[in-house]
Amino acid sequence: MSDRSIPRLLQTPAVILLLFWMLVPLSMTLFFSFIRYVLNSTRRPEWTSPSLENWRGFGNYEYVLNNKDFWFAIQNSVFIVTSILIITVIFGLAIAVLINRSFPGRGIVRVLLISPFFVMPAVNAVLWINMILDPVLGLNGVAVGGINNIVDGLRDFPVLGAFFSLWPEFEPISFRATQTSAYAVIMMVSWQWTPFAVLIFMTSLQSEDESQKEAATLDGASPWSQFINLTVPHLARPIAIVVMIQSIFHLSLYAEIEIVSRGNGNKNLPYLIGEFSSNNIGAASATGIFAVILANIIAIFLLRMVGKSLMD
Amino acid sequence: MAAVTERSRLSDFMWPALAWIVALVFFFPIFWLVFTSFKTDADAVKPEHLFFFTPTLENYTNMTENYDYWRFATNSVITSTFATLFALAVGVPCAYAMAFNPSKHTKDILMWMLSTKMLPAAAVLYPMTFLTKNFLGIFDTHFLVILVLCLINLPIAIWMLFTYFKEIPKEIIEASKMDGVTTWGEIKDILIPLAWGGVASTALLTFIFCWNEAYWTVRLTTVDAATLSKLIEGNRAPEGLFFGRLAAVSTAAVGPIVVLGWFCQKQLVQGLTFGAVK
Repeated sequence: MSDRSIPRLLQTPAVILLLFWMLVPLSMTLFFSFIRYVLNSTRRPEWTSPSLENWRGFGNYEYVLNNKDFWFAIQNSVFIVTSILIITVIFGLAIAVLINRSFPGRGIVRVLLISPFFVMPAVNAVLWINMILDPVLGLNGVAVGGINNIVDGLRDFPVLGAFFSLWPEFEPISFRATQTSAYAVIMMVSWQWTPFAVLIFMTSLQSEDESQKEAATLDGASPWSQFINLTVPHLARPIAIVVMIQSIFHLSLYAEIEIVSRGNGNKNLPYLIGEFSSNNIGAASATGIFAVILANIIAIFLLRMVGKSLMD
Repeated sequence: MAAVTERSRLSDFMWPALAWIVALVFFFPIFWLVFTSFKTDADAVKPEHLFFFTPTLENYTNMTENYDYWRFATNSVITSTFATLFALAVGVPCAYAMAFNPSKHTKDILMWMLSTKMLPAAAVLYPMTFLTKNFLGIFDTHFLVILVLCLINLPIAIWMLFTYFKEIPKEIIEASKMDGVTTWGEIKDILIPLAWGGVASTALLTFIFCWNEAYWTVRLTTVDAATLSKLIEGNRAPEGLFFGRLAAVSTAAVGPIVVLGWFCQKQLVQGLTFGAVK
């Protein structure tokens, strides 16, 4: 009897803790999403406390679905996540193949490459948006200023000068603007997560069947066709896992978006929830439920893939 | 034939060189952060002092008055350490039971634990604020931050421990059971010494994740339990920004963790892919 009950007992604390962590806040969100609930209202003070009497049915969901910020946030989330995924997978593959050979200083190269992944998101955003991308004080501004100076200098040359005097004065791009803040976020997050993709692809490349490649070389297959026909299929599963894990992380990006432009022109679902939460809790909760549904669609695929490798 | 060797000699040199260039490009922003931290605030924004300047430690010595760095750093150390310890205290027995006495539900429980990790934090932001502020009165306390950090990292910790424990031969544990060793004795005297490397890297990775967490630590604290994430996020304003001192405090916030990360980069793969990529 004790043989069976002790293991069960040992699992209990973890299971109970996680059960509370998942169920309590989530069921509250679900409840709030069906009632009228605002934090401040002088006109309808009865809405400022959560109660069944303020039942609104699917009203909050309707409100959210008719809100153009919501659709923009979904669109923008998908745009940001997809861009990051494409960039990190392509660069990750290229770099993993590049360093999957022995050369002097490979250990140091690995250490340098993986470092961005351990930088805390707030520092990542502050570093990029201020010291690198700032149009006046950052390297962005300094570099564009440098190009302008060179062009200015060339204008005084006898023959070439006529050509260069046609050139405009370059303006550095501001990455805090409405149209560009999403690109700043994509850039900094890709910088941070490409190392992750590299690390996973490299681990997986090390288990690639070398004899197959040697046979292919003897048959006269070019390195490119070896890469497409042997390496990429071998990496199909790691690529899928990188895509899904990153999707889950990047759908909930927050610090970067907050620091770059305070969501100006660049809201995603978590940011929109944060904005709603300053007053309209009903709408925030309904948006939250949509975010849960979105994350679940991806999670189901990921869990299936992980589950396969679980008990072998 | 000669052409072939010539070409391979060239590529022998070219590919490693390219690898080095790529690595240096990726490391450059971190280098730039550390580099800027040795400039005075005035030098940091002058193009003529881009590479040549008189290095100063002023930004580091003034970190306490400029930012009250040590208070936030202490909070980060306390919360991350205790969250890691609690995650291990709860996770080790759980992973032990799952690895050595699996039932037919073990797989489902593991999957379910993982699924809690995938819940978007923003979806439960208000309920968490409401519960902790109005109901439990633990908003902005170390206890709350420790609890939340422990809970969000518990699934990954259990998964990592589980994959390490599974590699230990079952016979060793069963033999000790014959000898009448208690469960606690098994964990303490047999399991942990055998899986020491695995437990250590789980702890290291959990600690890193706790340290870098930037959603709950920012949203569930105001002053008392605020961590380094909150300190940095609070100083994001572009106007009147002091690059030198900001770089110094950022370097101090990420430096130790990046170095810790170098030691567990291999385990990172297993930890983050839940053992699906080996």
